[in-house]
Amino acid sequence: MKYVYRAQKNSKRQSYPVLILFFALLFGFTILNFFWPKRQISELENRMLAQMPKLEWSSLLDGSWTSDFSEYLQDQVAFRDTWIDLQSDVKALAFQNVEQNGILLGSDHWLFTKLFGTPSTAQLDKNTNAVAEFAQKYPGRVTFLLAPSASVIYPEELPVGAPMVDENALLDQVFETVSASADVIDMRQVYPEHKEEYLYYRTDHHWTTHGAYLAYEQFCALKGLTPFDPSAEQAVEVPDFYGTHYSATRFWNAEPDTITYYSLDNPMTIYQLTGEASFEPVETVQLMDPDKLETQDKYGAFLHGNNGYSVIEGDGEGSILVVKDSYGNCFVPYLTKNYAKIGVVDFRDFHYGLDTTIEKEGYDQILILYNFQTFMSDRDVINLIRPSTLQ
Amino acid sequence: MDSQGLVFNSVSFLFCFLPAALLLYYIVPGRVKNAVLLLESIVFYCWGGVRFLPLIMILVAVNYLFGLLLPRLRGKAMRRICLIVPVVVSAAALVFFKYTNFLIDTINQIASANLSELDFLDLLPLGISYYVFKLISYMADVYTGKTEPERNPVTFAAYVLLFPQIMIGPIVKYRDLAPALHTYKKRYTLDQIQAGAEMFVFGLAKKVLLADSIGALWTDLLATDIGLANVSTPLAWMGIIAYSLQLYFDFAGYSEMSNGLSKMMGFDCPVNFDLPYISTSITEFWRRWHISLSSWFRDYVYIPLGGNRLGLPRQLLNMLVVWALTGIWHGANWNFICWGLYYFVLLTIEKTFLLKYLKKGHIWPRIYTLFFVVLGWGIFTANLPGAPLPLLMRKLFVPSGGISPVYYLRNYGVLLILGAVCSTALPGKVWQWAQKHTVVRLILVGVTMLLSVAFVVASTNNTPLYANF
Repeated sequence: MKYVYRAQKNSKRQSYPVLILFFALLFGFTILNFFWPKRQISELENRMLAQMPKLEWSSLLDGSWTSDFSEYLQDQVAFRDTWIDLQSDVKALAFQNVEQNGILLGSDHWLFTKLFGTPSTAQLDKNTNAVAEFAQKYPGRVTFLLAPSASVIYPEELPVGAPMVDENALLDQVFETVSASADVIDMRQVYPEHKEEYLYYRTDHHWTTHGAYLAYEQFCALKGLTPFDPSAEQAVEVPDFYGTHYSATRFWNAEPDTITYYSLDNPMTIYQLTGEASFEPVETVQLMDPDKLETQDKYGAFLHGNNGYSVIEGDGEGSILVVKDSYGNCFVPYLTKNYAKIGVVDFRDFHYGLDTTIEKEGYDQILILYNFQTFMSDRDVINLIRPSTLQ
Repeated sequence: MDSQGLVFNSVSFLFCFLPAALLLYYIVPGRVKNAVLLLESIVFYCWGGVRFLPLIMILVAVNYLFGLLLPRLRGKAMRRICLIVPVVVSAAALVFFKYTNFLIDTINQIASANLSELDFLDLLPLGISYYVFKLISYMADVYTGKTEPERNPVTFAAYVLLFPQIMIGPIVKYRDLAPALHTYKKRYTLDQIQAGAEMFVFGLAKKVLLADSIGALWTDLLATDIGLANVSTPLAWMGIIAYSLQLYFDFAGYSEMSNGLSKMMGFDCPVNFDLPYISTSITEFWRRWHISLSSWFRDYVYIPLGGNRLGLPRQLLNMLVVWALTGIWHGANWNFICWGLYYFVLLTIEKTFLLKYLKKGHIWPRIYTLFFVVLGWGIFTANLPGAPLPLLMRKLFVPSGGISPVYYLRNYGVLLILGAVCSTALPGKVWQWAQKHTVVRLILVGVTMLLSVAFVVASTNNTPLYANF
């Protein structure tokens, strides 16, 4: 009988707290969202955001307008960055996920690129053979530097049991094939002794300026050169660098990295390609882009990012052509001590073979510098052996 | 090219379509509500383009007209024709758009013919598997006199296109919605709207917090760099269990969102998923899983064929028909037919002798049910690239080494436990308890809503798995 009375009592007290909360959030956020300032780019995500699509009958009828409009709403939603941080925190803290958006959350604030299982090595084999074949044409002049991934040097920092690719075995194969025709630099023989030093960024997929320096020392030893003396130069430190791995994960426990660079006054001329082995100067600049250091993409300051072809005036003798991915960007400045002319090629914006450029610009040495992950998947490396289209 | 339409778990639905649709529906006078609902449903349906609108409109018109005509006819034969014509037209549309290429492919394989597939059938008309079943149930109910035909074409079209149900069901009968559709004053109470909102929020959470997060495990294993062939037996089991949880939360969550939306507009729809994974037999499982579909097959196929009234052999034949159809309803592929027949076999075994033993047990019937249900999902998913059935079966039942489950336990362990707990009656009990504590309820709904929105914003839209069936 007691229960009956209580039930009756309850049913008289009519208020709708959950309904009020739901409608307040639904309509409140909709209105807020409508008036929320729209952005062109998301610096954190390092991409352009979708803009309000133009209304046309045809796009409305085939559904492409609504699709673009949905994307626009998704990209421009109020507090977008905060929502993404919240999701990242729930995943890391509540769900205990140790991976987000293809990045592994390691111990000691390490973030690693996820590279699992046994991916196809078709592209890697092609690229390896291209380097070997290229080097055969230039005996004694080609050096191949393939930087290992951070996870190869610091496997103990990976999440427990992560079924990573057997990168060591793949690197062994690559070096074995290439060493028949070129000098190779395998940093796995040097880095383990320097493990306590700052070799890789934790929040980014690049090596540090110091990590690159150790590789540069190897290069100098190989070529009989006197290396650049860092203690004699003015080092500049840029704190609070949150790199690409951080952008992908927004990991709450990430610690910012510090970028170090040497302030050198060697000029660099960036060229635009107008055809094979045909270049037009665009601008002449310092090696570092000070504007980029103010942005999220701080690593992009080195060599002003990835340009198809640029030439640096060095203080040494002879000339060298560096064919590289973005790992080369913080490596190349050291070479100013040893060479008079340093050419830099990035195949992402250089869609020709190299032979004519080497001949025309008269390069003595060629350094091919990649990190393993780019080298494994990059489709442009085979430009090395692309035949000339010039007669 | 985007044909997926508007999904509930997107910013455009949550903070554009839904508030506008609700507001408009609430403020217009009662007599206009059905017209507004139809208009909103057409906008929703055409979000991915207008190409599929003519088909659904034609089918609505055909069924509407025959529905009007049927009760006016006297002769038994005429009445029967009047039932068969619209049912055949609707079913033919479904068969044509869903199965033509599968048939062509099958003929090519059997007869080594070289018929070319029809490209324009690559995209299945949005929601056709669901709305055709709604139409057939309507005609059958008019024929058997279970319901009066709908006289108002706007009301009828609003029933068929009802935006909460058009994409992924549930398949709610006309006679369940007719009372509300004809209520013009006080169609909904504040109680109902509140309960609907709660259902919607928890459904959304099931979809975006649980289904999408847990499902990543299975997708990971099928990806080319890992590959099912390289995983160890324990990891293969983990993968298929994760897939089972994903499928449940995905579909149950979406159904709950749909029913919540309907409820907010005054339509009480039967529950579509009733904790299927706590069943103690396969028979019970199918009374708890996708209830609107299994009850449709019961009411409009099994019983009309004679059900269990014509002796055991005939009953088994009827079951065979129902399960073959259930299988193929899920997709034009052999694995779905196998999956349907697999359940036919299991249900026959239970019907003939096992059920009475299952009723006596406590723990083992649950384990038995879960084992065969999870195995069933293995057959169900065999049309996905990277998950061929022989390979999966070998991985599950022939102990083999390979990639160990350690990393996946570390990464997904909490989610798997959370998923298992949420498959039981426990969350429902907590919610029941929270009814008496307003602050707890507010926190539960508010936090769930905020977290779900965070996951919606941060993810690219994940279309529900069941939209493809």
